[in-house]
Amino acid sequence: MGQKIQKVLVANRGEIAVRVMRTCRELGISTVAVFSEADRTAAHVLFADEAYCVGPPPSRQSYLDQGRIIDAARRSKADAIHPGYGFLSENPSFVRACEKAGLTFIGPPASAMEAMGEKTRARANMARAGVPVVPGTTEPLQSVDAARAFAEKIGYPVMLKAAGGGGGKGMRRVNGSPELDSAWRAAKSESLNAFGNDAVYLEKLIERPRHIEIQVFADAHGTCIHLNERECSAQRRHQKVVEEAPSPIVDRPMREAMGQVAIKAAKAVGYHGAGTVEFLVDAQRNFYFLEMNTRLQVEHPITEWTTGLDLVAWQIKVAEGMKLPLDRPLAPRGHAIEARIYAEDPAQGFLPSPGRIRQLGAPSGHFVRDDSGVYSGYTVSSHYDPMISKLSVWAHSRSEAIARLGRALDEYVVTGITTNISYLRSILRHPAFAAGSYDTEFLEREHPTLALAKKSETLTLPAVLAAVVVAEQRDRRRTSANPRLDGSGSISPWRQVSRRRRPRV
Amino acid sequence: MRYHATIDGKQYTAEIENLENGRFAITLDGRRYEVDAAPAKNGALSILIDQRSYCVRCEEEEGDEMVLYLGNQPFRVDIANEQRFRLRAGLAKVSLHGSQVVVAPMPGKVIRVLVGLGDEVKENQGLVVVEAMKMENELKSPKAGKVVELLAQEGNAVEKNAKLLVVE
Repeated sequence: MGQKIQKVLVANRGEIAVRVMRTCRELGISTVAVFSEADRTAAHVLFADEAYCVGPPPSRQSYLDQGRIIDAARRSKADAIHPGYGFLSENPSFVRACEKAGLTFIGPPASAMEAMGEKTRARANMARAGVPVVPGTTEPLQSVDAARAFAEKIGYPVMLKAAGGGGGKGMRRVNGSPELDSAWRAAKSESLNAFGNDAVYLEKLIERPRHIEIQVFADAHGTCIHLNERECSAQRRHQKVVEEAPSPIVDRPMREAMGQVAIKAAKAVGYHGAGTVEFLVDAQRNFYFLEMNTRLQVEHPITEWTTGLDLVAWQIKVAEGMKLPLDRPLAPRGHAIEARIYAEDPAQGFLPSPGRIRQLGAPSGHFVRDDSGVYSGYTVSSHYDPMISKLSVWAHSRSEAIARLGRALDEYVVTGITTNISYLRSILRHPAFAAGSYDTEFLEREHPTLALAKKSETLTLPAVLAAVVVAEQRDRRRTSANPRLDGSGSISPWRQVSRRRRPRV
Repeated sequence: MRYHATIDGKQYTAEIENLENGRFAITLDGRRYEVDAAPAKNGALSILIDQRSYCVRCEEEEGDEMVLYLGNQPFRVDIANEQRFRLRAGLAKVSLHGSQVVVAPMPGKVIRVLVGLGDEVKENQGLVVVEAMKMENELKSPKAGKVVELLAQEGNAVEKNAKLLVVE
C-alpha cells in the first residue's frame, strides 16, 4: 500500500473482469486476465493486455485455485489483484496469500472479512456495536431442543439459517413447532453441503420484507462514508434480478439513519474499500442488519449512475493508500435501474440455456449502460454463472427510468440461446413494480404472471408475412443450388422435388 | 406462389407475388399487403409491411422449419410452398400404412400429453404438446388409428427426434 499501482491482475471472468479492466485502462494501469481452459476466447481475455491460463474449466481447479492465480500474478509482474465479486473475493485466506506474495489486494483487510464472514459472529459483532439485528440467537444452536425453546420465546414464524454463509442456502422457514424437526435436519445438511459447516442459528421471520442495502466506502485513514441505498427486493431464491436506486420507500431521514448505521457497522470491523451493508426492512420501515458483503457488488452501476462516481477507481485509489475525495454523503441524483440478463428460460423453471449466441445486438442511446461479458458467436458455457450482461439506465425520475429500461430491453436482441429478457420486461410492466410496492417475495408470488406471460399477438401477422418473404427467397435459393451438394445425408423430399425439375442425363 | 405456414399452432395460407427489386405483394385472408425487403446489418432483413418497419432475422433453418426473430421476439415457423405442401401431404398418405412414429420436432419439454395408451385417435387429432423457446407446438396424429406406444411424459425434457408415441 502507499504506492501507485501499475499492473492489475483481475482474478475473475466475464462482465465484471471487463468492467474492472475498463477503469484500469482509463487510469493508465496495465491489465492481466486469468482464464480457465473453457474461457480461452472469453470477453475478458480479448479485452486484457495479457492473459494467463490458470487451469481446467471447473472453478475449483482454476478461478478458485489461489496458488495458480498468485503464480499468474508473479509471472505477469502484476502488483495488485482485483477479485471482482464471487470466486475468491470474500476469502480471507486469499487476502493473506496476496499479502505474503507482496501483492496489493484491492479490497478490505482479511480481518474485516473474517469478522463479517461467519454470520453469527457478524450478528454478535453488530449487536455489540449497537447495530439493529433481527431478533434471534447470536450463537449457533447446539440442538433442536435449544432451537425449539428459543423459537417459543421469540414466537413463530422463525427462520433457520446457515451460520457459514448466505445466498439462501441452508435456510428454512418454520411456521410452528411441528415443522421444526424436519427444517432443522434440512437446514443442517444443506449448510454442510454448501459451506462445509453445519452450524445453524435462528431468527424471527420478518414477513414480506424488503431488501435494501447501503453502499459504504472507507479509506485507511479513518474516513468512512455511505453512498446511499439500493433497493434489491426484486429477487428470486435470494438472487437479485432487478435493482434500483434510490429505493421507492426510503426518504432522506431514513437514508441518513441507515447510512449512519452502515458506517457504524463498517467501522466496527476496521473496514476499508468498497462494501455493502444489507438490511431487511419490515412493513413499518424498521430496518435490521442482514449481512455485510465485503466486496464490490454486482449492482454497483446503479450507485455509479446516481452519484456520478467510478467505484472501481475509488477501490484502486483506496488500495493505493489515498484518502477518499469526499467526506460527506452525496444526495442521490435522479433514478437508476439495473436488470440482470441471464441465459436461462423463465418458462422452464429458469433452466440455464447455455449455447452459442448467434447474434447479439445490445441497446444503446442516452443514459443506457450495458455491462456485458459476451459477444456474437460466443458460446455461453455451462461451467459458470449464466448471467451474460447487466443492463442499467438512468433518468430524472423513477417512471422515466422504468420507461427507458423497457425501451432498452425491447432493443436487446440475443439469438441462438434463450434469455430472461421478456421476463424482465414483464417485471417492469407489473403494476406492483410500477407502484414501487414490492417485497422480496414479489417475484415468487407473481411467477405465473411474470414468467408464463402469453406472447403479445401484435407481431403474429407481421411474422407470417415476413415468413412468406423469407421462404420465397429460401425456395429460390434452393432451386438454383445444386441439390446434390446440399450436404444432408438422406434424400429429402425437397431434393426429390428439385431433382425432378432437372434434366435427366 | 402460394405458401402454407404454421406459426404458434395456427395455420395460414398466403399468396405472394414477387414484384422484383425486393418488393412483394402478399395476399393473406383476403387482404393485400405491400412488402419491401432489403438485406440490412449483420445478416438481418429489413422488412417494411405497408411501410411499417421490422428487423427480421432467420435462423436455425432446416427443411421447412426456421426460427424467425422480429426484433427480439422469436417465432418458430413451418412454411412450405404449394408444391412442397402437396408433396408432403402425398408422402404422408403413402407412408400411412403400418405404425406411425411421432417424434419431437425440436429439443424441448413435453408440457401436455393429450391422449392415453390404447386411445383411438382421428387423423390430425392433437397428441402431445411440446414447448421449445417459449413456443408451444401441438403434434397431431398422422393418421386415424390407435395409440400403441406412449413414451411422452408431461414435464420431461426431450431431444430432437425423440420418439414420443406410436399410432397404429
